[in-house]
Amino acid sequence: MLTCKEQVARSSDYLDGQLTFRERLLMRHHLMFCANCRRFIRQMRLMQATLRILPEPEVPDAQGLAERLASELKRNS
Amino acid sequence: MAAADDAHLLERLLKGEQQAYKELVTQYQSAMRAVAYAIVGQRHADEVVQDAWLSVVRSLAKFEGRSSLKTWLLTITANSAKGRYKQNRREVLLDDLPSPHGTIGDERFAAGDEHWLIAPFAWHQDTPEALLTENELRECLEHTLLSLSELQSSVLLLRERQGLELEEICNLLEISLSNVRVLLHRARLKVFATVEHFEETGEC
Repeated sequence: MLTCKEQVARSSDYLDGQLTFRERLLMRHHLMFCANCRRFIRQMRLMQATLRILPEPEVPDAQGLAERLASELKRNS
Repeated sequence: MAAADDAHLLERLLKGEQQAYKELVTQYQSAMRAVAYAIVGQRHADEVVQDAWLSVVRSLAKFEGRSSLKTWLLTITANSAKGRYKQNRREVLLDDLPSPHGTIGDERFAAGDEHWLIAPFAWHQDTPEALLTENELRECLEHTLLSLSELQSSVLLLRERQGLELEEICNLLEISLSNVRVLLHRARLKVFATVEHFEETGEC
């Protein structure tokens, strides 16, 4: 049986599909019986989803860069 | 992006259509920057991205679609970073810098049975959109991301925001899978601690 601390230590590998079959079973078994760890994993997933949609800083002067690149293409062809 | 979209965009790029370049830049620059940032650090990242863009344009006609456009762009960026700053290439630093709200550390668990001593606080929101309606949390997250080491934050962003596979990150940055896993896990726990702190106190 995993401890909660071990569950947390393996959580990223669990979320990234990096655990072996046996390790995954141990993890699922622990989660089945531990509400705190279920909450932890659920909130880890929520945190991941939040980073996914966190607005990216805008590209400074995308227009200027696009113009330079388009003219670079013409110079090369 | 699907291969058909890549092909269509490529066609417009080869015609020199300025709008197509703008789309390319807007869509891929931040992923390219994350790769450059991981390899050469903040000081040279912008230069490397500029170089990479020029290489991209010069070799556009040679792109054969064997990989996705994104993978191709990121490979060019990584090569440009490695080539130009090989002498400056730093060792893989697994060092952990302090983060504004700490991490989920040993003190959260009982010494004996290793169960939660301080259980995870239940967040008030259960969707990312709801979480981000709080502008302050958004700023708070950005602050935490900036506190991570260059390599740690790049790996996190390449994985979570750009959706790269762990293997792709290893290949681009030339670091081992076990290092990628360590970097990613430590970064995630810090970001987790930030959201938890905000949800618990309403403050950054």
